[in-house]
Amino acid sequence: MSLLKPFSKLPGLCTANILLVESEEQFQQSLADALVEETAVTVNVRLAKSLPLPMENEESRPRIDLVVFIINLTSELSFQSAEASLKYLDPGYFLGKVCFMVTNARNASVPTERLDAVRKLAASLNCPLLFAEDQTPDGVTNATERLLTILKVAAGLVPMATALYLSNLTRCTVPPDIDQPSFD
Amino acid sequence: MDESTKRLLQRLIRRIPTQMLRTTLDKWGRLTGGQLHSMDFTQSKWALTEKLLAICEENELAVKHITELEMIYIIDNPNQGMWYAFQLMDPEDDAHSVELTQFKEQFKSHLRELIRHVSVKIKKHTDEAVWIRIAWGDTFSRPNHMKPTYVVHSLQTPYVFVTSLTSKQKPLLSQALVLSTRYQAIKDANLSGRKLTAIRDLLMRQYHQVFPTRYPTPLAENNPAVSNQHIEKEQAESAANRLQAACEAFGGGMLPQLQSAVYKLETKFRDHSNKTMTEREEPFRCVVKFASTNLLESLRHCASSGIASTPVTPLLSSIPLKGKNYFVITDNGPGPSSQMRQPQK
Repeated sequence: MSLLKPFSKLPGLCTANILLVESEEQFQQSLADALVEETAVTVNVRLAKSLPLPMENEESRPRIDLVVFIINLTSELSFQSAEASLKYLDPGYFLGKVCFMVTNARNASVPTERLDAVRKLAASLNCPLLFAEDQTPDGVTNATERLLTILKVAAGLVPMATALYLSNLTRCTVPPDIDQPSFD
Repeated sequence: MDESTKRLLQRLIRRIPTQMLRTTLDKWGRLTGGQLHSMDFTQSKWALTEKLLAICEENELAVKHITELEMIYIIDNPNQGMWYAFQLMDPEDDAHSVELTQFKEQFKSHLRELIRHVSVKIKKHTDEAVWIRIAWGDTFSRPNHMKPTYVVHSLQTPYVFVTSLTSKQKPLLSQALVLSTRYQAIKDANLSGRKLTAIRDLLMRQYHQVFPTRYPTPLAENNPAVSNQHIEKEQAESAANRLQAACEAFGGGMLPQLQSAVYKLETKFRDHSNKTMTEREEPFRCVVKFASTNLLESLRHCASSGIASTPVTPLLSSIPLKGKNYFVITDNGPGPSSQMRQPQK
């Protein structure tokens, strides 16, 4: 078992590296295409279906600044895969270098329990939880912008801000009454 | 022209889309050039039908000419209704030398022996397939041209494709086919679909099949779209392996469009936590049906994207392998591990 470590490699000059983990490998491709369009910094995108990452890429892989778990809410498998992948991350990542991105949350066929489970998961790890629309080009642009904002901070490209500081402000919190049955 | 012939023509014109009407009538060749020119295809269907009825009256066309037009339309647009595949078994020695005229005569005479009131029309299509249109009557009534059965058979192949056949007519058709093609038996191939070409391609293996190789093609050749140097797939190799395995199971490129696959389970219920059901003697019967606009494509995607594990379970991969989409699964033997598939019927 190889842990992915946040500080095991030296950072590149004016580059930010992001790892997108999605079991379905659909949305990550369009996100990646949009992410590398960024001109202010060089963005390297690594795509993975799940963690752990294969050993043979260890050498060529740059320092990963931000790990994004993309969860499709309509699929239980997607959530389970993300949950299983989490344990292959070094605890250092959870100081602001991990975020969850949920798609299809507006879909009517999504059981509410699954969204609650994702929120609890994100809250227990002190990670931000983003919602994205993967069907429309606008949604992809939007999601890209939000990821880039976090990524720049996580890569240390924004003066006076650190990933840990940002995550204190953006992390997901769960309302205390989430387990209560609703009365409506 | 009598009343029923007129109704047949009206119904047929209603079925043919306006933009195809002209070419279909052209192919039919029963109208003179002047008559074709006099028809205004921008008019409504109703007006066109009236005009065509008058022309047919003038040319003294009968039922057999109208059925000809119907055959031309159906041959060009076979994807209507469900097609069922049948397989001829045990060829006799001269089965391979059956030729069209002989088959035509034999088939007609054999069918006429079995049932008096029947109207058969046989036409050879350009792709070597023989198209047979059968309008069935019974002992007291004349052939009903409103509900014809279509049969497609390529000579020298053991497959026959049939649409809109009732269970009453099935034995008659089977017998006539077996006798005229010089085979000894015919059986249901357990394959059906809305696209005739798809089920034909599946049975005759006319689709892009992928075979296991020791030297897989380089990934770059397969997907040239991956170009951006800033995007890198970490698990590209395993993804390529999955795609290869999925293509080996279901075929590469465009796949025949099947609409459904049905598994009829007649196995014992096995669940250690549910004793009442497990101890029951009789099998637990249920039907599992997969439906999609392109089933094989969906299954291949499931396997290649990792939703279904690879290697693909033989239950799914035997759809293209055996050319079937209806399976009956039964227990073979007493042990829980010796669960065997045995497609029947």
